[in-house]
Amino acid sequence: MAITEKLTQVFREVFDDETLVVTDEMTADDVDSWDSLSHVNLIIAIEISFGIEFKQNEIQNFGNVGELKQSIEEKLEKNCR
Amino acid sequence: MKVNNIAYACLTQHCENGHKDKKIINWIQNDLSETGFTYGDFELESNKIAHVLKDSGIQVEDVVSIFLPRSPKLISSFFGILKLQAMSCILFSTLGEDALLDRLGNSQAKFVITKNSLVRKILAIKEKLPELKNILVVDKEENRDEFILSLPALLKNAESDFVYPHQVDAETPAFLQYTSGSTGKPKGALHVHGAIQDIVQAFQEILQPEADDRYWCTADPAWITGLSYGIIAPLNTMTDSIQFGGTYNADHWLKIIKDKQVSIWYTAPTALRMLMQENEEKFNEVRINSLKRIYSVGEPLNPEIYNWGKKVFGTEVYDNWFQSETGSIMIANRPGLEVKPGSMGKPRSDINVFIMDDDIKARPIGLQGHLTLQKGWRSMFRTYFHKEAAYAEKFRGEYYITGDLAYQDEDGYFWYVSRSDDVINTAGHLVGPFEVESALLEIDEIGDAAVIGADDPILHKKIVAFIVLPNNVKWDRALELKCRIYISNKVSTVAIPSEFIITDKIPKNQSGKILRRVLKAYYEGKDPGDISTME
Repeated sequence: MAITEKLTQVFREVFDDETLVVTDEMTADDVDSWDSLSHVNLIIAIEISFGIEFKQNEIQNFGNVGELKQSIEEKLEKNCR
Repeated sequence: MKVNNIAYACLTQHCENGHKDKKIINWIQNDLSETGFTYGDFELESNKIAHVLKDSGIQVEDVVSIFLPRSPKLISSFFGILKLQAMSCILFSTLGEDALLDRLGNSQAKFVITKNSLVRKILAIKEKLPELKNILVVDKEENRDEFILSLPALLKNAESDFVYPHQVDAETPAFLQYTSGSTGKPKGALHVHGAIQDIVQAFQEILQPEADDRYWCTADPAWITGLSYGIIAPLNTMTDSIQFGGTYNADHWLKIIKDKQVSIWYTAPTALRMLMQENEEKFNEVRINSLKRIYSVGEPLNPEIYNWGKKVFGTEVYDNWFQSETGSIMIANRPGLEVKPGSMGKPRSDINVFIMDDDIKARPIGLQGHLTLQKGWRSMFRTYFHKEAAYAEKFRGEYYITGDLAYQDEDGYFWYVSRSDDVINTAGHLVGPFEVESALLEIDEIGDAAVIGADDPILHKKIVAFIVLPNNVKWDRALELKCRIYISNKVSTVAIPSEFIITDKIPKNQSGKILRRVLKAYYEGKDPGDISTME
């Protein structure tokens, strides 16, 4: 399953919204209830879903979903090595 | 007694007095783009919204709820509702379905003004809201159906002028402000149009804005601070202000203060604590010369934060205290009064504050007791909407019992100690443990649950959930995530516990009441004291 597709599923589960469609340009401003508190839920859900871990200093540093996706890709690549 | 309708006092009178084109709010989006709004902009749109609501059958004292993130449309909607002498009820856009149902159900709201992406939350509970007639969607150009209407489409045909009585009886209901209790459902504190007199008096006495000031209140309008001091007071007093539509971001916030030349900044201790986590060099780089004063409200401002704020911003930080129920600032530090770091300050003019014991007798200086206000101030809540008994419980004779414990020192300063009940003040939001426990118990894997507040260096209090699992269920990260997501979407993001502790049993007394003090003692590693009533 492509990362975007899987990420969309995670977003839908975390924000309880089946209509959400994830795009690279998407930011917290575009999703209701995406604040610093639910962001922690999102990170945990991504970690579980993708089998990766974020460092504490990475968590708040994503400017948009595209940057988050890039970080996931890099971690998945590392896991494969 | 007659007073100005809050909408007249904040918008119409300024337009009548030649300030229609005065830019009064600079609206800043998360990308830091800026749009200026004039009194005329808000007057025109609130007139049209008043027409739409009136034509839809909204009458005096009907409740119209605004379920929107902070936005210019929220402000226009608020004043449109007040022009009709209907009641506004602004709700946090982060509320989940259960929390929304409690508030819309109790207020019997006839209309909800919201955005398209939030409609699903209302539809999920629609069947339990028999009073709800329509949802007005601010970002849809066409009606979805007969129930979900497009506000822009309705506004297109609405008239620009709206004739309404500029003077109303001071006791005319204006808005509801929901607040959590330690037991039961949230309560809607009802405020009247006469409240504006106290809101503005406190603004001038405590925040002391001058003509050349630029003011920024960071609070969401669903919070009493955001409504009273983010919207009503600055608009009434023609205080040039900014509003930020984005979320917390240290770089953005500091840039806004610097670039927009903010001189009076009204924020919350949690925000200051979060900024305190940043590298101090960041503040040296920004060099905010415009900033004259910082104000803080919502939780106690501990001396450490006070001293840090004073050092990095080079200006005084004034803590103050009030509640949804008080409507306006009651106790405050302010210019002209020596600050005692950690103190709430002194009562403002005409406000009588006492420290009382359980029998409502005055406590001696230096000893803690119930923080109590002599009733009768103009912005005092008039009832808990549809919960008269709960309202009556808050008063003992002439005195309003705030639910906070405090003491007064020999110089007349008040010092916050803690809540006297189980309500958890987390990042300035009051969360009732009952709401969180109820949501947790709806999850199949949870056998029993209890929630307490515990000290936290950033949030003031964090939410700690004690969980009992049935024998066949194991706690793991996925179940924790399930609980976190469920609470976030059913109650609110602010209600998500910071910690989950698995236990064998929740301590309860013989009538089934959770003994939170026992859980708190356990959490803090202290002696739980008398447990003879424990089941």
